[in-house]
Amino acid sequence: MSVELKDVSVGFGTPSNRYEVLKDVNLKVEENEFVSIIGFSGSGKSTLMNLLAGLVFPDKGEVTFKGEKVKAAGPKLGIMFQNYSLLPWLTTYENIELAAAQVFKDLSKKELTEHVDRYIEMVSLTPARDRKPHELSGGMRQRASLARTLSLQPEILILDEPLSALDALTRGDLQEEILNIWEAERKTVVMVTNDVDEAVLMSNRIVPLTMGPSATLDTPFAVDIEYPRNRHTLNDHPEYKRLKTEITTYLINLNQEDKKGSSMDSYSMPDVMPKNFTPISGRPTLRNKFTQPH
Amino acid sequence: MANPTKDKIKYSILKVIDVSGFKVLDPPVRLLFKEEPQKQIRDISRYMLLPIVFVFACLAAWTVLGPNHKTKSGEVPTPTRVWDAWKDSYRFHEKESEKEQAFMTTGEDRGAEVEKIEALIQKQEGEYAALEADSQSIAAQAKEKMESEIAPIKAEYDELKALSFSQKKERKSAEEALAQKVANKTAEPQQLVTLIKENGIKSESEKEELKLIKTKIDLIRSNPPKEVKAAQLAANKLADEIQHSKKRIDYLTSGNREVKGDTLLAKAADASTQLNTTTDGGEAYKQAKSLVSNTEKAEKTKGQQYPRSASIVWQTYRSLITVIIGFSLACLVAIPLGIMCGLNRIVMACLTPIISIFRPVSPVVWLLIFQIIIGAFFPDPEKHPLFLFLNDQANPLSYFQTNPAMIFSACTVAVCALWPALVNTALGVSSIDPDHLNVAKVLRLGFWSRLFKIIIPSSLPLVFAGLRISLGVGWMVLIAAEALSSSDGLGKFVWDEYQNGSSQSFANIIVACFVVGIIGFFLDRVMIVLQRLVSFDESASL
Repeated sequence: MSVELKDVSVGFGTPSNRYEVLKDVNLKVEENEFVSIIGFSGSGKSTLMNLLAGLVFPDKGEVTFKGEKVKAAGPKLGIMFQNYSLLPWLTTYENIELAAAQVFKDLSKKELTEHVDRYIEMVSLTPARDRKPHELSGGMRQRASLARTLSLQPEILILDEPLSALDALTRGDLQEEILNIWEAERKTVVMVTNDVDEAVLMSNRIVPLTMGPSATLDTPFAVDIEYPRNRHTLNDHPEYKRLKTEITTYLINLNQEDKKGSSMDSYSMPDVMPKNFTPISGRPTLRNKFTQPH
Repeated sequence: MANPTKDKIKYSILKVIDVSGFKVLDPPVRLLFKEEPQKQIRDISRYMLLPIVFVFACLAAWTVLGPNHKTKSGEVPTPTRVWDAWKDSYRFHEKESEKEQAFMTTGEDRGAEVEKIEALIQKQEGEYAALEADSQSIAAQAKEKMESEIAPIKAEYDELKALSFSQKKERKSAEEALAQKVANKTAEPQQLVTLIKENGIKSESEKEELKLIKTKIDLIRSNPPKEVKAAQLAANKLADEIQHSKKRIDYLTSGNREVKGDTLLAKAADASTQLNTTTDGGEAYKQAKSLVSNTEKAEKTKGQQYPRSASIVWQTYRSLITVIIGFSLACLVAIPLGIMCGLNRIVMACLTPIISIFRPVSPVVWLLIFQIIIGAFFPDPEKHPLFLFLNDQANPLSYFQTNPAMIFSACTVAVCALWPALVNTALGVSSIDPDHLNVAKVLRLGFWSRLFKIIIPSSLPLVFAGLRISLGVGWMVLIAAEALSSSDGLGKFVWDEYQNGSSQSFANIIVACFVVGIIGFFLDRVMIVLQRLVSFDESASL
C-alpha cells in the first residue's frame, strides 16, 4: 500500500457559507500502480492532488503515505504542477539543480551535475539545458517540470493534469515519454486528467471523480491491457474500445445528471432549421446566387 | 541573402538598444542593415525627424520670445547666451584644474611648464593688443558715427536753447517795465499777474521742447552699436585668459607648494646653522623654536591641496555623490523593511500607519528636521573627527569637502526616496506566485534559502521598479535641499546665481536647469537598464 485516502473531506469558507470541494473520498493506490483520476473541470481534481502532495490538508479523514499520516509536502511526494511552476529567472539546468541540490545534499558538485544532466537527458531537453523558461515552448517547459520532479527521485509521482496545456502532437510525445519512464523506473503514479484516451492509454486503473461540489470518487475501472501499449495498435484493441465507450458514457451520464440536478432553468431554443445552400444545378461557384429549393 | 554573422551583429545591437530603452535608435540600425528600408525611413521620419524638428521649433520660439520679457535680472537669455554661459562655466572649471595642476607640479617639470606658459602669454598678449586696437577702432568709428548722428540734433538743440534764452530775457524786461507802470499807477496790477502767468507757461513749454531733444541725444548715446560691446567682450575675455596664465606661472613658481615648502626648509636649515654657532642662550632658544616651527610648516605645505573654487563640474560631482549616499541609505533601510512587510502581515500592519503618514511630508520639512537633529551631533563640525578624517588632505574623499550640510541633505534624500522603494519591495514580495511557494514547500526549503532562492529573485523586477522611482525622487529632492541648506551642489549653484544677480546669472540658472535634467535622465536610464537586466519576463529579452 503506497498512498491511501480515508474518508477525506475538504472545503472552503466559513461554517455558515461553506463550499465542500471533496466529500468522503476514499482511494487506495498500490505500490507501482499507475492510477488516473478522471473528471470534469472544476470538480476538485487539483485539490485532490494537493491533498496527496501534502499542500492541502483534509478537514476530515486522513491521508496516509506508507501507513504514515502526511503532515507536510516533501520531495518524496513528487508533485508536478499543472502550470509548470518553473522559476522564470533560472535556466532549465538551474531549476532542476535547485531541486536536486536540496534533496541530495551530500552529492559533490560533479555528481550533482551528472545527476541533473541525466534527468535532462531523460526528458530529451539537453539542447535547451541553458535556456530560461520563457525561451521554451509549452511542451519543453512541461518536460523541464517533469525532469525536476523526477530528479527528486520521489517515491510517488503526482501528476496534476500534466498534459492539458499542450497541443495534441506534443501531448502524444509526452505521454509516451511518461509511460517509458514509468515502465523503466516502476514508480507509483497518480495522474489527474480530463482526457479519456489518455487515461486508458496510460493507466492500470481509472478512478472517476463525480461533479463538484462535494465531489467524490466513484467505482474505478480496471484497465486490463498489457504494457507496453502502442497508441497506434491500441485503437483496434477490443478492451480499449470497450473501456473508452464505457467511461465516456459514464461521464456523459454524470454530466447530464448534474445538469438535471442543478436548479438552472433550461432555455428553450428558437425553432430554426439550417438553410440548404446546395445549388440546384450548374457549377458550384460563388458567383452563383444561392436560391432556396422550390 | 541572409548573412548569419551580420544578423548576429544586428540583433546584438538591437538588444543593447532595447535593454537601454533607446527604442528610437531601432529604425536607423535596421536601416543600416537594409531591413525593409521604406518602413524604416518612414519610422525614422515619424519618430526621429519630427521630434527633432519639434525641439528646434521650441528653441526657435524661445529665441524669439525670450528677449521680449524684461526682468530684474535682465531679459530672458536666448539659447545661444545659455550655451555661452555653459562654455564660460566650463572654462572656469578648466582654469581651476590648470591652476591645481600648476600648484602640484614638482621638480624640473616646473621650469618647462613656465616656459610653455610664458610663450603662451606672449602669443596671447599679441592677440590681445590686436583685439584691443580693433575694439578701440570699432569704438572710435562707432563714436564718430554717433556724433555725426547727434551733431544736427545738437545744433538744433543749441539754437533752440539760445532762442529760448533771448526770449526769456525779453519777457523779463517786459515784465519789469509793466511792474514799473503798476508802481506808477499807470497800469492795473491784474495785468502784471496775467503777464507773469502767461510767460511762465511759455517758458515751461520751451523747456519741454528742449528736454525732448535732449532725450533723443541721450538715447543715441546710451545705445552704442552691438559690435562695440562684442569687441570689448572679446578683448576682456582674452585679458582674463592672460590674467589666468600669469596666475598659473605664479602657482608654478612662488605659489607652488614645493617651492613654498623648500623656502620654509631653507629657513629651518638657516636656523639650524645659527643654532649650532650661537653662544647666546636666548638666541639659541629662538633659533630652535624657528627650526621646529618651520620644519613642521614645510611638511604641511608640501602635503597641501590646491584650494579649488566651486565650479559647476565640481558642484555636479558633489550633487551626484550626495544623491548616491542618500539613495544607498534609502536602499539599506527600504529593501529589508520591504521584504519584512511583504513576508509578514503583522509587520505590514505595523508599518502601514507610519508609511501613510510620513510619505506625503514635504522634503523641506524633513530637511529642517534633519538639520536640527544632525546639527546636534556635530556642535563643532570643524573639529569633529569624522570631518577631520574625511577632509584630511591625504584622503581622496577630501575632494568632496564633506560637511554637516551634505549629511543632512543626503538624509533628506534618503527619507524621501525611501517610500517608493519600500512600498514596491513589499508589493513584490507579497505578490509572489503561490506556485513558486509550493515549489519551496515540496523542496522543503528553509527560511533563508526560500528567501534568497525564491522570494527575492521573484520580487526583483518590482524592487527595481521602486528603486527607479526612488532615485528620481531623490535627485529632485536633492536639488531643492541643496538650495535650501547651502550644501554645495547644483542646488546651491542655482541659489548662488540667483542671489548673485550678475548679467550672466539668469543664463547660468538655465544652464544648471539643463545639467540637472540631463543627469536625472541618465540616472533614470541606468535604473531602467538594471531593471531590464533583472526582469525575467518575455518583454525583457528580444
